[in-house]
Amino acid sequence: MFAIGMRAPEVAAAVRAGQFVNLGWAGPLLRRPFSVYRSHDDQIEVVLKAVGAGTSQLLAMEIGDRVSCLGPLGRGFDLSTGARSAVLISGGLGVAPMPLAARDAKAAGVHVTWVHGARTATELCAESDGEEVVWATDDGSQGVRGSAVDAAPDAGLVLACGPNRMLAAVAERWPDAQVAVETYMGCGTGVCLGCAVPLKRGGYDRACTEGPVYRAADVDWEALPSHLPYAVMA
Amino acid sequence: MTPNLSVDVGALKLRGPVVAASGTFGYGTEVPLLERRALAGMVSKGIFLRARAGTAPPRIAETPSGMLNAIGLQGPGVEALIRDYAPKWAEWDLPVLVNLNGESASEYGELTARLDGVPGVAGFEINISCPNVEQGGMFFGNDPRAAAAVTDAVRKRTKLPVWVKLTPMVSDIGVIARAVEGAGADALCAINTFVGMSMDLNAYKPRLSFRTGGLSGPAIRPVAVHLAHQAARAVRIPVIGIGGIARAEDALEFLIAGCTAVQVGTATFVSPTAIAEVHDGIAAFLRAKGFGSLADLPRYLLKD
Repeated sequence: MFAIGMRAPEVAAAVRAGQFVNLGWAGPLLRRPFSVYRSHDDQIEVVLKAVGAGTSQLLAMEIGDRVSCLGPLGRGFDLSTGARSAVLISGGLGVAPMPLAARDAKAAGVHVTWVHGARTATELCAESDGEEVVWATDDGSQGVRGSAVDAAPDAGLVLACGPNRMLAAVAERWPDAQVAVETYMGCGTGVCLGCAVPLKRGGYDRACTEGPVYRAADVDWEALPSHLPYAVMA
Repeated sequence: MTPNLSVDVGALKLRGPVVAASGTFGYGTEVPLLERRALAGMVSKGIFLRARAGTAPPRIAETPSGMLNAIGLQGPGVEALIRDYAPKWAEWDLPVLVNLNGESASEYGELTARLDGVPGVAGFEINISCPNVEQGGMFFGNDPRAAAAVTDAVRKRTKLPVWVKLTPMVSDIGVIARAVEGAGADALCAINTFVGMSMDLNAYKPRLSFRTGGLSGPAIRPVAVHLAHQAARAVRIPVIGIGGIARAEDALEFLIAGCTAVQVGTATFVSPTAIAEVHDGIAAFLRAKGFGSLADLPRYLLKD
């Protein structure tokens, strides 16, 4: 996992946990969405893996190169529910929106527990910001053997981001959890309708506009593709 | 001096040559970043009489210099459009045309009758070229008699401008172009997306849930310029060029090829200011070449 920082004063000043930026650079036609990972002063950071030609081009950039950054976009986490404790569950690159969520939660006086899940120890994220951390790996190489969802304690506020299969499991255990979904995305601004999220009540809405954060039980997980060639929201 | 970029598309006067293409600009209320001064007009997202949920995801897939989409004309239906969007359009200083869709010629007619006279609706673009619906759409667009029947059904119910958006998936676009001209169209829009397919190498199946999608973006531009040119040769009514326009140079190719105006679509997904960049770039080109008006731009158009 790599973090890329960029100067984006307007985004840095306005971004809320769970929102994303749509980044464009000379390479792919369409922009790629990334959750904002950190924000400080006039800088923001995003995290990514090299999963395709586009992300490889982004990682090959030099300090001082420019990317086009559109954002902050989407509807982020709601941390003003009155809960006193929060658990932040992330699978792999799903850690992306969590540092901002932890920052905002702590600012609201909410006690934070991090739960990091991955296939194996080398893919685990070390993010904790000095809070309580629970580790879970599929192969047991670090922390609890099994899923991050099984390893997580209960809390007043459950926030999750990761593969859609993981989020479906979150929805089973905590219907009211707030989850940031991953989808393919075209414009990021609400016009192309490419980032359709199927809803339990029927129909679709847009991950870029009504999402990417949803109440877990509102999403029709069976109808949401779970294997994306690139990790969109993470 | 700023060149005069205004154009007449039949009786409809536009302040510039760049119109937002259907399905790429929503209902015009979603993209706050665009500099509207450069926008000459807008074609709404395609509408049916009734609400449609659209297709299951994945709906889009990027391809070399392009993208496939199968949105399936998701939309709220005509009553919601009249209630929620038309009142906003009525306050704008640019014309909004509604992109019409139906499963039969009579549905197109019924839709037109409902929308004709609604404040904010300045005209219609008949979609007989959507590749992503099971009924209607492209099936009307590749049969000259069906294309004429749909055009006639709309024409009979309105005096507002009627544009017809053509599909490239035909053996001779001139035949369709002449058929809809004969049925009373005021202008043609050439072209809609090509039908394409792309396979997922891990799932061993198409990347789109609809299996196929409409190919758009710079990948289709040279083919689109050719088809728009062929359509323009075949008819006397204006042709509006569409297909992979991202920069002013792209738009100028369509204009030189005989088009009266252009529509910008997929480029808006990439950059919400694409339309302004195309508009300003055309003005800069005309200035650099010493033309005082877009009407002075030489055209390469030999009528059939």
